[in-house]
Amino acid sequence: MSVATPPRGDAGAQAPASSARVKKSVDVPTIIVTTAVIAILALLIVYPLVRILVMAISPAGSAVVAKMFTSPVNQRIVLNTVILGTVVGAIGTLVGFLMAYVQVRVDVPGKKVLHLLSLLPVVSPPFAVATAVITLFGRRGMITHGLLGAETNIYGLTGLTLVMVLSFFPVAYMNFRGLLSSLDPALDEAAANLGANKWHTFKTVTLPMLVPGFASSFLLLFVESIADLANPLVIGGDFTVLASRIYIAITGEYDVPSGAAYSLVLLLPAMLVFLVQRYWVSRKSVVSVTGKPAGKPALLDTGARWPLYAASLLVVGLVALIYITVIAGAFTKILGINNQFTLDNFKYVLSGIGNESIKDTTILALIATPIAGLIGMLIAWLVVRKMKRGAAWLDFLGMLGLAVPGTVVGIGYAIAFNTPLIWQKRMFLPALGGGAAMLGGAIAIVMVYVIRSIPPGQQSGIAALKQIDPSIDEASASLGADSVTTFRTVTLPLIRSAFLTGLIYAFARSMTTLSPIIFITTPQTQIMTKQILSEVDAGRFGNAFAFCTLLLGIVLSVMGLLTLLVRDRRGAGRVSVGGGL
Amino acid sequence: MTLDPTTQASAVDDPVVNAPLDLERAAVPVAPAGTGVVRLTDVWKQFPTRNGLFTAVKEVDLETTPGEFLTLLGPSGCGKTTTLRMIAGFETPTRGSITLDGADMLRLTPDKRPMSMVFQSYALFPHLNVFDNVAYGPKLQKSSGSELKDRVNEALASMGLTDFADRAPNQLSGGQQQRVALARAMVMRPKVLLFDEPLSNLDAKLRVQMRTEIRRIQQAMGITALYVTHDQDEAMSLSDRIVVMNKGRIDQVGRPEEIYRRPTTRFVADFIGSSNFMKAEVADVANGRARVTVLGQQRELPASELSADATSRVVLVRPESVQVSLADSKAGVGGDHGTITRAVFYGSNVEYVVKTEAGDIVAVVSDPDEDQILKVGDEVVVDFPQDRGWLLSADEA
Repeated sequence: MSVATPPRGDAGAQAPASSARVKKSVDVPTIIVTTAVIAILALLIVYPLVRILVMAISPAGSAVVAKMFTSPVNQRIVLNTVILGTVVGAIGTLVGFLMAYVQVRVDVPGKKVLHLLSLLPVVSPPFAVATAVITLFGRRGMITHGLLGAETNIYGLTGLTLVMVLSFFPVAYMNFRGLLSSLDPALDEAAANLGANKWHTFKTVTLPMLVPGFASSFLLLFVESIADLANPLVIGGDFTVLASRIYIAITGEYDVPSGAAYSLVLLLPAMLVFLVQRYWVSRKSVVSVTGKPAGKPALLDTGARWPLYAASLLVVGLVALIYITVIAGAFTKILGINNQFTLDNFKYVLSGIGNESIKDTTILALIATPIAGLIGMLIAWLVVRKMKRGAAWLDFLGMLGLAVPGTVVGIGYAIAFNTPLIWQKRMFLPALGGGAAMLGGAIAIVMVYVIRSIPPGQQSGIAALKQIDPSIDEASASLGADSVTTFRTVTLPLIRSAFLTGLIYAFARSMTTLSPIIFITTPQTQIMTKQILSEVDAGRFGNAFAFCTLLLGIVLSVMGLLTLLVRDRRGAGRVSVGGGL
Repeated sequence: MTLDPTTQASAVDDPVVNAPLDLERAAVPVAPAGTGVVRLTDVWKQFPTRNGLFTAVKEVDLETTPGEFLTLLGPSGCGKTTTLRMIAGFETPTRGSITLDGADMLRLTPDKRPMSMVFQSYALFPHLNVFDNVAYGPKLQKSSGSELKDRVNEALASMGLTDFADRAPNQLSGGQQQRVALARAMVMRPKVLLFDEPLSNLDAKLRVQMRTEIRRIQQAMGITALYVTHDQDEAMSLSDRIVVMNKGRIDQVGRPEEIYRRPTTRFVADFIGSSNFMKAEVADVANGRARVTVLGQQRELPASELSADATSRVVLVRPESVQVSLADSKAGVGGDHGTITRAVFYGSNVEYVVKTEAGDIVAVVSDPDEDQILKVGDEVVVDFPQDRGWLLSADEA
């Protein structure tokens, strides 16, 4: 047998003729999954956003958009929103950095407690922090009035800043903790070896490497704070921001077109900041987050550590105080006024509408959790492994649930799904939300929960998959498994911990979400967060605290259950995912 | 044998790993005779890059014979792994056709192709134990119950892994992991086994041992194997034929001794073994013989086909073919005279570098007598047996 050696150096050897193009094999299962995922994302987020856009550029909407920058009232609202985002972004980033630096680089006792308390606000129900802050620091606050006898006004920018920083700093904390612990200690040692003292090393080595981390945290907190609705409603006072203005437009003025117009004005900067953070700042990072540093960093053990420690204790002290207030408030008549122990709040909450809302919310969140977790993992798998072109777009579509402010999602859903989709006299989609909807609007609520809960799982899935040798997937294919079988039997088991993270976040986010569902709830389907809002509105803080305590209890116990359920039952522990040595 | 599952078994001390494979005891699935013919016709692969298209593989024509061990050899970036991945189905050729026993492979996704691949990183499923790793493929072939068990146990036994069935992959040494990967591919009874640098993560001693085992199991199964490596020793010791690739093309295909003794291009000569390229005056080339003047003497040498029409030509002499002897007198200044500029004793042989008019010539003399070893500065005469010279084209491809 002979093997032909191709002729050498012929001029036609530069590009293959297009006529001889190979007929590709078609990976049918992957195409089906990709199409399904994109269709789901299109329905759950793209379609509502398009409806907002259409509404905002309608004659009624565009009139409001046009007035947005001419009317002094609206200018004030936009300015307030930007001020709030900037202040919370800056202070929250600093607090997060302080906590992370103390955690990773300073030699002080009790770090485990510091860590847990720094993460606690992640699972806090909306209103919990705001109501507790009003109880503690308000006009009749236990501390400001009761203890110090001062007349203060917490409502407005000051209160909002305090509440939002306490609610959102964990995002910055987790960000910095990851960055700081992946900084190679050898860099510090090299600086010390070259004659730099600790302060000089911090200034010239550590801080410059964290610049992208500061930018990224600031931008994330900026988006979170301008998107927040619950806190401005409770503690905003006269300080109106876009999110609360949208709420008033829809629920007070029944003016959907101007709600859509305000939404557009909120959506654009939020998306812009999100895009800058995700695709520009994060790429500037000089720290390899995946690399495991060799050795441990030298901890700060000079006198400088004590002021840092005191500051971090102040932060976690406040967090602890807030949660103690919530729980204490749930068991007293009127905390700060009449501190008598009572179970009345729980009796009220656990009967009638309250009881129903707890049941409905938990069931709907439990339905949405696995759907969101699975879609998140599928997106991660398609983005990392399957898609060559378009991977960035799919990633972006999946992240929209985080990038688009909840209030805007809510308006979009109200416009898109509260009435049936009828075109040319044929109904394409029945009403899914609002009073006339089937199943009492439960479908739209689950849809909101799903789209809002996909991003955390998707992100941790992508991070986990990037650590896994792609030849493990190829080995599975080589052994005769089609791509969906590979996903089910190899990929998903290997990224189990990312899947668990996704499920936990999905449940916590679903249970605590308010702004996107506030416009689509119906009398038939009661949602806890909305019940809390009405209790707070009516000034019945005790009931609100009881709701918050129950919500916190449910979230924490489901988290524990999920951890037990998804954990490897064979107890083989952590497996190395390198596939190699 | 009991082993503490928490300790990483050291491959070298492990009696199981060091034992030869018991192919008689273990039933090895044997490929049907006359199958496993992989044919590549004018295969190209281009990748889009920022600066336009990058051609990774071009004009590759190749055909295996049934049961052949064929190795793709070349430096990194020569297109050998891309070629293997196109055969496995992980890359799609830009142009060309790939068939197996006449059936078009390009219409099939990787999971539908009757081939199994052994990966450089082993790619064992870390969440499954050894038994389940090997059983993964058969289960997808709807094998179950005692049939599945027998099949997997046979494959494990043939690789000496019976005692490791319950272990997790990360409790195995590198050599053991590689055996599991091989058992997992073998148990599929594929028509072709594909190997992507499977030994490059092992230490030198284990590498030598594993390659004889791979060769034995492949011969026992009578299965066609395609093997990618950049290690010429591996290619030489394993292959029926070697395919030397360079810049995306096939430079030469041939038996190991052909490749070594009669390379068709300067690249092949340079890449395989070490080489002396000597300037030569060529009188004529015909019928695979050439009359040339090299090292000051007129000689008749075997010559490559391509050298007949080449514009520049060199004579290849391998270092072990070069003979070095002390010059009778310093008077001799012929082309074959030179001075030793370096002499290194390696134990089994001694290596000299001789400076001559034709350039530096490397000579390797094996098993030298101690008092015969030459020193730096010695005046010497270099020569080589006539049929150990090889005239080849030095033109750029």
